[in-house]
Amino acid sequence: MNPLRRFLRTPEAIAGIVILAALFAVALAAPLFFPGDPQAIAGPALLPPFQDWSLPLGTDRLGRDMLAELFHGARTSLAVGLAAAAAALAVGAVIGTLAGFAGGLIDEVLMRITDAFQTVPAFLLALAFVSIVGPSLGVVVAAIALGAWTGPARVARAEVLSIRERDFVAGARVIGMHPLEIAFREVLPNALPPVLALSSVIVAAAILTEAALSFLGLGDPNRVTWGGMIAEGRAVLRTAPFLSIVPGIALVLTVLGVYLAGEGVVETTAVRRGLS
Amino acid sequence: MPEFTISRRTMLAGSALLLASTAMPTIGWAQTPKKGGRLVVAADSEPRNLNPAIVASNGVFFISSKIVETLAEASFGGKDGLEPRLALSWEGAADGLSVTFKLREAVKWHDGKPFTSADVAFSALQVWKPLQNLGRTVFKDLEAVDTPDEATAVFKFAKPTPFQLIRNALPTLSSVVPKHIYETGKIEDNPANNAPVGTGPFKFAEYKPGEYYRLEKNTDYWGKDEPYLDEIIYQVLPDRTSAASALEAEEIQLAAFSAVPLADLDRISKVPGLKVITKGYEGLTYQLVVEINHRRKELADLKVRQAIAHAIDKDFVVKTVFLGYAATATGPVPKNDPQFYTADVPTYAFDVAKANALLDEAGYSRGDDGKRFSLKLLPAPYFNETKQFGDYLRQALAAIGIDAQLVNNDSAAHIKAVYTDHAFDLAVGPPVFRGDPAISTTILVQSGIPDGVPFSNQGGYKNADLDALIAKASETLDTAARTELYKEFQRKVAADLPLINVAEWSFISVARDTVKNIANTPRWAVSNWADTYLES
Repeated sequence: MNPLRRFLRTPEAIAGIVILAALFAVALAAPLFFPGDPQAIAGPALLPPFQDWSLPLGTDRLGRDMLAELFHGARTSLAVGLAAAAAALAVGAVIGTLAGFAGGLIDEVLMRITDAFQTVPAFLLALAFVSIVGPSLGVVVAAIALGAWTGPARVARAEVLSIRERDFVAGARVIGMHPLEIAFREVLPNALPPVLALSSVIVAAAILTEAALSFLGLGDPNRVTWGGMIAEGRAVLRTAPFLSIVPGIALVLTVLGVYLAGEGVVETTAVRRGLS
Repeated sequence: MPEFTISRRTMLAGSALLLASTAMPTIGWAQTPKKGGRLVVAADSEPRNLNPAIVASNGVFFISSKIVETLAEASFGGKDGLEPRLALSWEGAADGLSVTFKLREAVKWHDGKPFTSADVAFSALQVWKPLQNLGRTVFKDLEAVDTPDEATAVFKFAKPTPFQLIRNALPTLSSVVPKHIYETGKIEDNPANNAPVGTGPFKFAEYKPGEYYRLEKNTDYWGKDEPYLDEIIYQVLPDRTSAASALEAEEIQLAAFSAVPLADLDRISKVPGLKVITKGYEGLTYQLVVEINHRRKELADLKVRQAIAHAIDKDFVVKTVFLGYAATATGPVPKNDPQFYTADVPTYAFDVAKANALLDEAGYSRGDDGKRFSLKLLPAPYFNETKQFGDYLRQALAAIGIDAQLVNNDSAAHIKAVYTDHAFDLAVGPPVFRGDPAISTTILVQSGIPDGVPFSNQGGYKNADLDALIAKASETLDTAARTELYKEFQRKVAADLPLINVAEWSFISVARDTVKNIANTPRWAVSNWADTYLES
């Protein structure tokens, strides 16, 4: 059975993929359905959902269209989640490979640095980083990646330690390849699959961290973010709870979708490894 | 409240919070004040320094005005809007060089020592003039305070100082602290700054950080039969949404300073037993202002500033951001000021087409992306409303092709960015009008203020005409002539737009209807509450 079909056999994976696909569709379609500034004032303030069909999800405290904000918020959440995860995986894989392949002092130094980062809670690290540098999208991505690269680094190092003893590595040495070339062209690609399996967890955590930062007012104020929308609604939670509930549901669905899809991938690869 | 400490939200032990039920039977009509009882109010900040003679801010007054009294208090009916507190009468000399205060006699400090003119002289010369945030300006020419007897204090000024200004400053700036406690050691480090000693109707009893402040009745108070309450508890509730639920659960009886969010007022006004009170803040008007950095060449152009003024829909701001609990502004003096306000100033109607035309005229035409230029906009973080107005202003500017990039900071970083580093193009600020333009309003536009002075002109604006007018008004003794100069000041500011006044607002209290005699002065929340009582 090919992996794709096996993957599609697991019901949670299908649910995850459906949610993620819908989310990507929403994010990509946002500028088509809602061209222009999603933060533009579109109607009367605090209009409840399902009252006016031109503003199906109602409006926030300034009269901005909630649906438009939700669509554009999906872009921010996904962009931050994917970018932060990509950055964390890249940095983690490189550092893990270097440490594992070089061994000795370099390994020691790199791993102690990894330990140091791991002892600080990732969210605190992000909070401190953003409040010092100042909130903008790039900074938020960097802040999240700062706390997330240690996991991939450890996994990559463990894989590299076993791979570097294999025959093809010895072969590469014999034909005179540069050690760095061996590390990144021969060893790293083979060490990647288990590292990539971490990606769903990292993406989900990154989306949540971004939302939490925005909720605390440390997101990019010039972009719509779901966390920022929830924070906006908090002051009027008793009067207009939908302002917080709607982006809250979107956030839950997204994280659930990423997680379920990730589960599916892990299960598929686990089964394949078991068979081989 | 403009005091920005945030702390853990901790709750008082439940039993301590229960209302002390007054056992007294209900005699006669509701208007007979009842004695006794504990009033529990919400506090949304925990000022570190509680000395109102040093820190003249509403966050400090809210608690310490019950403990430390001023020479006079604002009043709805009194002459010149004042009623006596520690001073019984005040008289300014015709040459503007002295003011004579007759003081109340037989007043005791909370530690039993007598209150005399020496305390007033000490407070004025050692505290208000050198140390107080606002007193530094108003009392800058104060040279000496003569004390011919224990009940007379004569303020001597080096330069003629308008009596009207001193009078208007009394409710805010004249908190009298005890000389015998402050004369040893450094005044700023005195322990009494954290546990104040005064002459007021309540004594400072206890402070538990993150939980509450407790004040207890001063049985030796000079007011006849006053105070009525036995105790006031300020329960620390930094989360704005929690004050409303605490009121509904009868954990607190009063939430002042708009501790209940405006959007909740409509709902809470329908809860039986609770009432929404908009009175009692007439003397504490906040102004919503767009501060402008004139160092930016675009903003140095009057046409651009006019365009921005025309782009702001003030009615929308009042209706949506303030939900109607505010008024539109015409200039630097609020409409509700009885002495100085004039409506006869240039106005800027909401007119996007005109704003666009003005920008075209100024030579800033739209680029291919529809944008003329980009600005950095820093909304002050102190109030939900200032932040929301920042969001609105960004949209209003987008409509006229100005791309405003919001920069959010916490309080400390905002003050540094705007008032020290000048790292802003536009900022949204909430300055306070304190009854006289010379106290804290002219400083917003006059030039020559050193970097780092918060809530002052740090936008690099310089207008020799306006500076001359401010200087002239500060030494004009005749009340009518001085008032006229400040009307001219309003016209000039509205014409040249060193900053843009958008709206004026004050606070809302929500109280249980058993709390009586509230909102009966223009600065009620920061008055001494001697006549407040609880009906059982």
